[in-house]
Amino acid sequence: MPGAKEWELKEKVGRNYEQVLDQLNTMLAELDLEIKKVTEPRSGQMAADEDGQRMDEPRYYVTLKGSLGLKEAKMIGWRIDNLAALSGAIAYLVAKQGKAPREDLEKVVAQKYGRWKATTLVDIFLRSGYLEEDDAGVMSLGWRTKSEVNLPALMTKMTEGRI
Amino acid sequence: MEQKPKASQSLAAGRKELKEVIETCDAIERRKFNPFFLDVKLGVETLREYFPLWEAFQDNCLDVHALNRLSEVVRLQNTQLRFQSSALYAEPEFVAKKFQRMSEKHLAEVFLQSWHPIAEMEQLTNEALSAGLDYWNLLLPIQERWKRRDYSRGKNPESADSNTLMELGIHGEGFEARLVGLWKELMELHGAQNGPIDYWKFAKAANHQETVQRAYFISFLVTYGFAKMQLEGEQITLLPIERPTGKPAENGVSVPIAIPSEV
Repeated sequence: MPGAKEWELKEKVGRNYEQVLDQLNTMLAELDLEIKKVTEPRSGQMAADEDGQRMDEPRYYVTLKGSLGLKEAKMIGWRIDNLAALSGAIAYLVAKQGKAPREDLEKVVAQKYGRWKATTLVDIFLRSGYLEEDDAGVMSLGWRTKSEVNLPALMTKMTEGRI
Repeated sequence: MEQKPKASQSLAAGRKELKEVIETCDAIERRKFNPFFLDVKLGVETLREYFPLWEAFQDNCLDVHALNRLSEVVRLQNTQLRFQSSALYAEPEFVAKKFQRMSEKHLAEVFLQSWHPIAEMEQLTNEALSAGLDYWNLLLPIQERWKRRDYSRGKNPESADSNTLMELGIHGEGFEARLVGLWKELMELHGAQNGPIDYWKFAKAANHQETVQRAYFISFLVTYGFAKMQLEGEQITLLPIERPTGKPAENGVSVPIAIPSEV
């Protein structure tokens, strides 16, 4: 998994790593990049505890500050239909509080893409880390979704989206 | 406060009800049902109702397990309420319908507007350079490597004339005689069994080479209308045709059959 943990930064950068990260952030902003701090709830639930007692140690990533256009997404190897399916799969899982049986998710994707393609697409999203599946066949949001996708923005745009 | 168990209540009925409560709770945890599908108060009352009956250790464990599962459902109900009050809340059916109706392009745009991919940097380190250098230094010259490949290539393919094919029994008069012989064998077997003949029983011979040859001739029997091949699931059967046409069947379908080395 990419990114650096807090203790790793303390060890390599020093105790004042937060100041160093602030300075690095200023430099990265010129490249349309930013440092993102991601904390995951241990229970894997969508709603994080406000007191932070049950939170894992945060990880720091460098992510794109702005967003990509359709042409740019194609240039980095994404197909438009795959992105559309990923958008729907993530939004559906978020609406189900982050977890849903695999068969339910595949059924939703299959209504738009057909049964065979739906299975393939879900496998692609699992391999790329955007979705996760446990032993009981329950799907949840993967580490990459939590790190890269602004879920409130996605849900707002999804619900407001024109048909 | 403990309630006195009713006379009609039995241990078996109590165990069954507790197991049902546990199963429902597990299904809720696996997101099969909404957390509010279960009336937790009723579940707790059920536990309380049967609690005085439990004496065996297993029954008490079952009771504790059911209580634990109910508490998990309460936790999920709490999470759902908090989630519904957040900005992320949307009805799953509504989201599914939106997904069906929105165009692919629009869906992709929605995703891209909220997607900030992780930046990746590829860098050559001293260790990687050193490993690369070692690899190239240890690599044999290309001529040496080609030599090795030549040894493992084996004999080159050669062309076969009609004499060779006749010697192998797959061409000429011998071929036709063998084909008719095999057809007669199939007819006799069919007469004895009075039904379709299992492909593998018929094709199998004393050794692998002979089995492959028989399979080869069977394919011609089927192709030239000497026999009919029937596929039922994994079972393949053969049925001889009394008056062979001797011509390839129209609209024929190729059926690849792998012959394992142990046959």
